[in-house]
Amino acid sequence: MNLMTIQRYKNEIILMTTFIFSIYAVYYKFSANKYVNENKIIIQKQINEINAIEGYKKQWTDKAMAKKVKIFKTIVSSSKVKLFSKKSSKVVASYINLTSSELNKITNKLLNIPIQIIKLQVKEISKNKFTMEFTCKW
Amino acid sequence: MNLTAKSNSKLLIHKNMKHIISLDQNSIDIILTPNFYTFIREELDLKFNYQAKQIAESLFDDYVTDSHEYQYHVYKCDQHWCFIAYNINEIDTFLTSVGIEKHQVSKIYFTQQLLDLIEFPILLDEESVLENIDNTITLVPKFLMNPAIEYAPLDMSSFKLKGGATMSSSLNSYVSLKETLMLGSIFCILGTVSILEGNRIKASISKEDAKLTELLDENPRYTSSLSRQSILEKYKPIDQIERAKRSTIKDISKLLSNKSQLKLLSIEKNRIKAEIITNNQRINKQVKEHARAKKFKVSGASLTVKVEKSL
Repeated sequence: MNLMTIQRYKNEIILMTTFIFSIYAVYYKFSANKYVNENKIIIQKQINEINAIEGYKKQWTDKAMAKKVKIFKTIVSSSKVKLFSKKSSKVVASYINLTSSELNKITNKLLNIPIQIIKLQVKEISKNKFTMEFTCKW
Repeated sequence: MNLTAKSNSKLLIHKNMKHIISLDQNSIDIILTPNFYTFIREELDLKFNYQAKQIAESLFDDYVTDSHEYQYHVYKCDQHWCFIAYNINEIDTFLTSVGIEKHQVSKIYFTQQLLDLIEFPILLDEESVLENIDNTITLVPKFLMNPAIEYAPLDMSSFKLKGGATMSSSLNSYVSLKETLMLGSIFCILGTVSILEGNRIKASISKEDAKLTELLDENPRYTSSLSRQSILEKYKPIDQIERAKRSTIKDISKLLSNKSQLKLLSIEKNRIKAEIITNNQRINKQVKEHARAKKFKVSGASLTVKVEKSL
């Protein structure tokens, strides 16, 4: 295409160029829209999954739990603590002669810390006297 | 004097001009003699060029034939409006016949626009003379002129012209310059708006994208979706069951009162059991109803209520 031909059809060339530019731009916009629609859900899902994992891990495998569970050794008088054993990430405790309020205190504490209750047994042995055993892990 | 000689990219076009062998420049301006146009000067109360252009066609009704399509050029001349009608096809045919391609022509001017420059007659060729008669540039046969008259030269490089018609807009292109500018602008605006909009849309997830990148940088092993799913599958049931255990114990505690005492509570292998002793049958019935409402499996005889739930 020589210079004369370009000059002769310059209007058409300008028009064609701007038309192609606008078509490309519209295509770019729709591609961007499609990309966002497809990826927004995926990205959000990935963020939610990672946040959920982090949340679960923080909650159910808390490294500081080993210290927190020590409270079950001192929560009632030592005479009522029949057994308290903490090994690795597991705690086993057994109590005797608990009053209702003591039982409630231990139960509330147990329910309010994020620890997996493997086994729990509460028995009334006499009027307002209870025994309690539990095995938990984290 | 050779008026058809090329001078500073301006070329005077008249009927008896010689054939042009070659043009040195790709783009030239042409000045048409009155052979190629019809001129009218009118005193009109108009302010703008476009207003004059709107009425141009009607002004030439009695001067041009309907068999040809005419283009109109309008400009303000002192206190008047000057109207020029020309047939671009006729001009094009003539230009081709003298060796000028239409795409080589950039602008078209008219000798009427040289009014101030043509004070004395100018000899075009052996037969015709260009003369200013009552402020109208006219072609006059040479034999009507006084033989003793001296003709003035016209130096094409000595003046600049303004306000010509565009050849390309009239003929060269399938699309006129006006349409090109209008449509081109629309396409450009549409394109620019689309690109800006596209960038805005893309930027709308950049925040989430950056957050995800940051999270993955902190925890590279979560990059794999299989790894994430595997970890979630491990923790999700623990979370659900532990929450259910706590919720169930709270439900059991709501069944207890002064008249309904806990006898036994056990959690083992995702199964929760409780045994409650009530004071009388009425309380027993109430506790059972509440337990059933909380979807416990209820049993027990006499004043004992046994509730059970599998998680």
